[in-house]
Amino acid sequence: MTIAELITEASERAVGYSSDECLKCNVCVTVCPVARVTDLFPGPKYVGPQAQRFRTGRAQPVQVPGIAVAKSPDVTVDWCSGCGWCTTACPAGVKIAEMNSQSRARMKAGKRPKLRDWGLGQTDLVGRMGVLFSPITNRVLFNGPIRTVMERTVGIHRDAPFPKFGKRTLQSTWKRRQKRRGPRPLPGPDQAVVYFHGCSANYYEQHVADAAIAILKRNGFETIIPEQVCCGLPMISNALYADARKKARTNIDALVGYARQGYKIIGTSTSCTHTIKAEYHEMLDVHDEDATLVANATWDICEFLLDLHDQGKLDTRFGRLDEDLPYHAPCQLRSHGIGLPAMDLFALVPGLRAADMDHDCCGIAGTYGMKKEKYPIAMAVGAPLFEKIRATGAPEAACDSETCRWQIEKATGTRTRHPIEILLQAYRAYDETPTSGSRPVVTAQS
Amino acid sequence: MPSADVVVIGAGLAGLTAAIAAAESGARVQVLAKGHAATHWGPGGIDIAGIPAAATPRDGIRLLAAQPGHPYAILGDDVAEALEWIRPLLAAGGAEYLGDLDTPHQPVATSIGGTRWAAILPAGQAAARAPWSPGERLVVCGVAGFKDFWPEAIAASLSRERLWEGGTRPAAVTPISVALPGLDARHNLNGLEIAHRFDDLAWRTKAIEAMARAIDAVPGSGGRVAMPAVLGIRQHVDVLAALQRRLPAAVFEMPLVPPSVPGMRLYEALRAALLRAGGRVQIGEMVERVEHDGRRVTAVVSAAAVRTYTVRTGAAVIATGGIAGGGLVAERDGRLREVLLELSVEAPPADEWLAVDAFDPAGHPLEKAGIRTDAELRPVAADGAVLFDNVRVTGSMLAGQRSVRDRCGDGVALTSGWRAGRSLHAVPAGHTAEPGSERP
Repeated sequence: MTIAELITEASERAVGYSSDECLKCNVCVTVCPVARVTDLFPGPKYVGPQAQRFRTGRAQPVQVPGIAVAKSPDVTVDWCSGCGWCTTACPAGVKIAEMNSQSRARMKAGKRPKLRDWGLGQTDLVGRMGVLFSPITNRVLFNGPIRTVMERTVGIHRDAPFPKFGKRTLQSTWKRRQKRRGPRPLPGPDQAVVYFHGCSANYYEQHVADAAIAILKRNGFETIIPEQVCCGLPMISNALYADARKKARTNIDALVGYARQGYKIIGTSTSCTHTIKAEYHEMLDVHDEDATLVANATWDICEFLLDLHDQGKLDTRFGRLDEDLPYHAPCQLRSHGIGLPAMDLFALVPGLRAADMDHDCCGIAGTYGMKKEKYPIAMAVGAPLFEKIRATGAPEAACDSETCRWQIEKATGTRTRHPIEILLQAYRAYDETPTSGSRPVVTAQS
Repeated sequence: MPSADVVVIGAGLAGLTAAIAAAESGARVQVLAKGHAATHWGPGGIDIAGIPAAATPRDGIRLLAAQPGHPYAILGDDVAEALEWIRPLLAAGGAEYLGDLDTPHQPVATSIGGTRWAAILPAGQAAARAPWSPGERLVVCGVAGFKDFWPEAIAASLSRERLWEGGTRPAAVTPISVALPGLDARHNLNGLEIAHRFDDLAWRTKAIEAMARAIDAVPGSGGRVAMPAVLGIRQHVDVLAALQRRLPAAVFEMPLVPPSVPGMRLYEALRAALLRAGGRVQIGEMVERVEHDGRRVTAVVSAAAVRTYTVRTGAAVIATGGIAGGGLVAERDGRLREVLLELSVEAPPADEWLAVDAFDPAGHPLEKAGIRTDAELRPVAADGAVLFDNVRVTGSMLAGQRSVRDRCGDGVALTSGWRAGRSLHAVPAGHTAEPGSERP
């Protein structure tokens, strides 16, 4: 065994061997949103720490001489949505969700992935193609008969929420903008931050990027957008660990120079930022110094803004937004362990009545709820949330994670926005209030 | 960085009670807990002082309070008030509790075929407690294929007379098993899965009918029926009512191995009460340390992805669950350490930790280990000096109790939580308003 192999083995133990701490108390089962609604998934304990004793650290199940190789005891692990509630609630510190993701990858290792699962992992490829042919792709994706055919052939549910592709990528828009502006010196790390846009802002929701850039500018930060790729989470979720490691490496190489100079890396997608912070290390076994530097420099945007506020540096001149705002905290936000920064920021906006909907999971869990066989589970998991949001009668809702927003919007018909879009609206409300002086209206273009 | 008037560390009965009491008094309260625990493991009752020598909880409190150093010596007089305060809050969340400090202790049948001494029980378990009239029979009704509840074994065991010493007992115990719709083919069935099904009206209508028919078929039934504690979670009150409407017998639940469905109901009712009072709960926050400035704590710091999460606070409640909860850990040098503030721990020296007899009625030397406090529940040093003015220690962290053996853990948790929460309301405003903690 080489030293590198030893290190890999040992680090796998960090997650896999945390099953030693398991008391079999079943607390994880009590909080599992999937086990709550279906018999197909027996619950995180059974496929996680309980099945772990039948697994070795390597890809193969335990082999006993003279006995045919035992089948993996955990085929039902594929029903895990990866929401992470089990890890959150475990009183013994067992990394249950992480263990389940790794076992799924191991179970599927060496087999050709389903075209659908492979495709859902390739967010960059799908995004680039989708944007390139956006008038066509958008028509196709929102066409009922075509979606029915897609469901039958590919296995993506006909009613699964899909975003619309943008006309161009954020990357290309940004490059054009930079070119127009001409070369400018790079401001220092106290005057600029690096933006990790993720796939959603790059291919689908440029308005989120625009809001982020405007809010950062308002608070004295220029935005730097280096070339970057998908964080890799969709690949992790679809058991494509090798591909995910490549994405991780590309991103780390693209970002580490900035991290080393002290720039903060700000993301608008809680799942991307959590992947960079924790999962490169925990799930993908990327442990080098560069990865640590990048992870340590990474912030969720609301976490960053609240930190600015804490230092007394946040522009708190928010205008009045007299409205009810139901808010859903996405699962990955909870895995950050940073509380509900969006709710703390909403509290700074006069008149805004933000209410945490207090529901565990909207069901979508990234690409989980898009799959034909998992769609009904995802809808059942999120049903109480949809009911609560509809009951508020509010015209719009807020949520930090893109796939959750699409799920909520599709299921409730309520427009669902990123918290920073709401904050930007509050800044604009301030600018437009006659008494607030002659501040110019901040736009994304400025 | 968020801020709060009171941060409670731990989300068991003590922590949540303290949080509710503080929030009700107008404090901004934040609960941080590393996960779920005690509530989800326990049987969901509120045991105040279930010692064999005590006829009632009140009696038990008096006996325990007389023991040197028992928490009831300082809390005993408040138990009744704390209990009556929490009762409507729990009932509002669907967790009604029956019994008070003067309810006689009775042997209550358990799901391993034993009995335990109890007085205050959830409504769904209360029918287990009343004295048995002569000739009154018990039917133990299990679910076919459910491996956490064995009616035959329970019935055989409960037929032993000596289990019922100090109380009356059923004249006969009859086991039955009922196949419930859609469960027969399942090989990995736990109580929680059945409980989720009972929350569904259509399913439970069929299930209750199947159970009722099987119970009707038992000759001489009409006494009481024991069932595994799986009768719904959110809809438990309705499930119980529907069962009682259909059955001539009084039904009671027997708590099972974890996950404890009655414990989850208790947790959900406590959590709902806290949210109604304006408090916040965050699970999954592993608190690493509590920062302080001299004798005042100023912030609570928990682990977050790559950095820490800090909540500035005017006061802290330590409800970290003793040795079982991780609030106290044993060091290699033979010392028990309080993990958050290095509070002084009252514990026997390490060479006394190994008991010779595992079943010694005198108990294990470590059972009483914990933090010594003053009457205000502020932690004190060995010489009695207060260590932190704005800290309260609650529940299993308190020294001097044998919470499991003397069945006083729930009463100590409830009363210490209630008193801690109320007393923090009285912390002077000048101290609670740390920089940046102004109310938005």
